[in-house]
Formats: sequence, structure tokens, C-alpha cells
Amino acid sequence: MSGPLVLGIETSCDETGVAVIEGLSTRSSVLGSQVDLHARFGGVVPEVAARAHIEAIRPLTHQAITEAGIHPDDIDAVAVTQGPGLIGPLMVGYSFAKSFAYALGKPLYGVDHMEGHLNAPRLSFDGYEPPAIVILASGGHSQIVHVKAWGDYEVLGGTIDDAAGEAFDKLARFMGLGFPGGPAIDRDSEGGDPSAIQFPRALRNRPYDFSFSGLKTSVVTYLEKARDAGELPARSDVSASIQEAIVDVLVDKTFNAVEATGVEVVGGGGGVLSNRRLRERLGEEADKRGVGLFIPEPALCTDNGAMIASVAVRRILDGVPGDEIIGDVDPGLRLGV
Amino acid sequence: MKILAVDTATPASSVAIGEDGQLRGLSVNVDRRGHVKFLVPAIDFCLAQAQWRARDIDLVAVDVGPGPYTGLRSGIATAQAFAAAIGAPMVTVSSLTTIALRAATGHRRIWSVVDMRRGQIAVAPFALLPGGVAPDGDPEVVRPDEFKAILECEGIDLLIVGDWQSLPAEMWTGLQRVRRGRPRFPSAETILEIAAMKERSGATLGPDDVRPVYMREPDVQINWESFRSEGAWPQ
Ligand SMILES: [Zn+2]
Repeated sequence: MSGPLVLGIETSCDETGVAVIEGLSTRSSVLGSQVDLHARFGGVVPEVAARAHIEAIRPLTHQAITEAGIHPDDIDAVAVTQGPGLIGPLMVGYSFAKSFAYALGKPLYGVDHMEGHLNAPRLSFDGYEPPAIVILASGGHSQIVHVKAWGDYEVLGGTIDDAAGEAFDKLARFMGLGFPGGPAIDRDSEGGDPSAIQFPRALRNRPYDFSFSGLKTSVVTYLEKARDAGELPARSDVSASIQEAIVDVLVDKTFNAVEATGVEVVGGGGGVLSNRRLRERLGEEADKRGVGLFIPEPALCTDNGAMIASVAVRRILDGVPGDEIIGDVDPGLRLGV
Repeated sequence: MKILAVDTATPASSVAIGEDGQLRGLSVNVDRRGHVKFLVPAIDFCLAQAQWRARDIDLVAVDVGPGPYTGLRSGIATAQAFAAAIGAPMVTVSSLTTIALRAATGHRRIWSVVDMRRGQIAVAPFALLPGGVAPDGDPEVVRPDEFKAILECEGIDLLIVGDWQSLPAEMWTGLQRVRRGRPRFPSAETILEIAAMKERSGATLGPDDVRPVYMREPDVQINWESFRSEGAWPQ
């Protein structure tokens, strides 16, 4: 496969992602994960994240270019996350990318992080094309997006309190399972009974919105009562039941949107889409309705440089010129606005 | 030796290019939040002034602080990326030294000040040398009242340079033998000079060896040694 050769840089949160893609084929994709740095705080500390990004960005860029087997001059364009995200981390990646592109004499494409997630499945699948419904869920965001065409996005709904990944994190912390919570609960659920405890599914009356704060309260109350009564259930049953409650809501709302819009393509992105139970349930529902499901491998669901580069590839092929050199980060960027 | 210098350690950011002691382009901007927007257009402007291309640059110099981190990092990332893209070596300079070097000298010992916000400043003393200054003690991050106590102990004629205007007025009451002067902020033009000297003495670095001088931990401690050795990313 061929197409423009694009260097993609992502630093909006706690992963430094750098990739080189050619058209939609990934030549290299490297990640400097900060999970261990933030683990002891049970969440991402922005200043810690920014410090880690500036440590990582140059070596990772070098590594991505070397692994791709290219020279920096071979690159056709540089793509970088412009927002939304944490301002300190965004500024590191954006400043680096902008200057790198400038010094090489190549165009720079500032990319909306969420649009990166919406595009990521294209790096894995051929048939993933709009119109589509895409569920985006991570530690920082939970949204259902109607992709009407590339560049034309409508956010149908989203979380009204915690993001799905945040709910996993908080619950995992409460259960002493560690950070990040999603993978911890996923692992702990193994062999557990997802129907052991019926935790609440909130906002049944709002078709595309989520709320996870009620679930949190309910889990805490349940476990305190069970402990006081000396009847604590198996932990794997609790984990599986929590996971099922979150997954249920995400799956329901996604397919509400699929039914309302009549689309036949369903995509997903964000770290929570690495959750095995969620992937399994989305697969079952998609099969039941005969719609195509396009959830890429976990490495493309979590934040990465390739998804950012993929947005620039599309713009280049559409003849969109690079950004003006006075560009800046935009931490409050919102999809479809 | 064509040098590009970048400074974002304070609310003033600046870019300068020069060759053999000759300033060929300079761009300055005072805007606490404007670093990212300013830098690359400023580099572009300076290169155009000199009629050079990016690749003509032989050395990239950058102020690594101390200074408020967010702006500081954008300058360092910009300089690192530029050097990495064209394969140029780098040199680093301290914001406090850059300010002190431009001090209107006389006979006074110099204290250089950078506002670190959150009620703290970074300070360092400098001794006068023929044609320049030399660090005369370690830089530290202190509160204004602590700085006042330090100055009270000096007992000699002092010149305070840098962002002393960010300090409370009562800081100066009762202080003897202390004069305040310019400059308020570091400038990339001065960095060109320091960079040329450092290059001559062989003090160049690769872009990977350039990092901010924070002088203050974030609210939490990080063990960078283990972070690196645990292979968060390969070498
Ligand atoms: Zn994300």
C-alpha cells in the first residue's frame, strides 16, 4: 500500500505516541507509556505527564523514524494532536511537531484527538467508512458519535459525569485493584459471574447519555453492607458485575444510536474499547443486527500517534493544505462544534 | 557558525539568529501564554531577515530555565525538534545567567531573579569578571522574604536584575546597599553570545540531553532513574 508518509505525534494525556504511517499502513508506532508514573496517584497528574512527555518525545520520534526505515526528509507531513487534552502535555507535542515540520520544510496538520480515535479503525479495516456510529470511551471521554462523512461529526450523547474509564479507575481503586482500573477489573472478572449482583444502569430514559456516579455509590454501599454482614461475595463476581453494568450501558446506548440512524457500520475507540467483555458484547449485538463492527486491536484503541497521522493522510489526499505557522494548541477542542 | 537561539523561560519569549558575533535576526514577544503561537513564526521571520534556510543553522541554543514550566517546555521542545530535524548540535544556557550577563554592571555583585509563580522566585548570585559575569553560588528557589534575608546578610553593594518587579514592594524597605536594574527578562540575543562561547569550549549536546531545569518538584516525587531504566521507552 502507498500514500503520503506521515509522522504522527500524540501527547494529549499520559501516553507519548509517535508513529509513521504510509497511506493507511503503519510503518512504525511507538509509545512511551506513563502508566507506572501515575499509578500511585490513581490518576494522571498533569505536571508529571508534561515532564514525562518532554523526556520521551525526542527519543520516541527518533525511534519511530528509525523503525519505519526512513529518513526524516522522506516524510510528507507531520500530524499532531492539537486538543482536546491537558494543556501542558499538548504544548510539548505540538511545539515539537510544529518546529520539526518547519525545519524539515514539511506541512503540519493539527488534529482533533477525538477525530484521531474516530479514524483509527481505518488503519485496521478496509470496510470502515461513514455513515457510522462510533463509541469513544476512555479515562477522559465517553461519547457516541454519528460520523456522517469524514469531517462531519455529530456527538449524539456522552457522559454527564465520569468517563467510563474514570468509573473503572475509581471502582478499581475502591476495590484495591490498582491503576488503571479498566484492565484490572477486566482481569479480575475472569471466572466471575457477571449476573451475580445487579448494579444499576443509569439514564435509561436518555438514549445516548451515560452516567456512572450512581453505579459508584451503589457499589460502595453494596460492599460496605456485605462486609458488615460478613457476607462478602467472591471478588471476581463483584468485578464481573461492575464490568457488566458499565458494558451494558455502553452497548445499549451505542445500539440505540445504530437503530435511530439506520447506519450499518459501528466503530469504537478509546482505551475502554480494549475491554474484552465490551468487545465481545458489541460483537454479539452487531451480529444480531447484521451490521459491521470495526473495533481495532487494543493498541489502536488506546492513544497512539498512528491515529493522529491517519487524519492527516485523509486531509492530504483531499488536497487540504497544512496549517498556518501561527497555530496553537486548543485544549478545549470539541468534536462537531 | 550560524546560531539559532530560543528563550521561553519567562513571560518574554525571544528568538535570535546570528553569526560570528553578529546579530542577524531578532524577534521578541511578551505574552505569558503566547509562546507556542510565537516561536515558529519568529524563527521564520529571523531566517528571512538573514536570508538563511533552516538547514543553514549550525547550532541551536536554548534557555533551559529556571522558569515557569509550561512556557519553558514549549521553547525546549521547539529547539530540540529543530535541531533534531536538521541534525544540528545544541547548547543550553541558564535564564539566570542570561539575565545577569546583560546587567548594567559597575562594581556591584549581581543577584539575578526569575519569577517562578506560586509565591516563589529562582535566584542566583554572580560575580563580575572583566567582560562578563561568573556564577558565584548555587541557584535556589525561595520566597520573597527568604530572598530579603539573603540580601540582608550580604553586606556589600548589590545589583538586583531580572523580574524583581514581580516581588512585593515591602521586600525592599530597609534594605541597604541594594540597587535594582535591568534587564527584566532574558533575551535570545544574549544567548547567541553565550552559545558561541560554549561551542568554542566544546560544551555542545545532542537534543536528547537537553532538558528543563525545574528546580522544583511537581506536587509529587518522581523517580526518573527507575522510570527510564524500567524501559518506559527503549533507548
Ligand atoms: Zn484518547
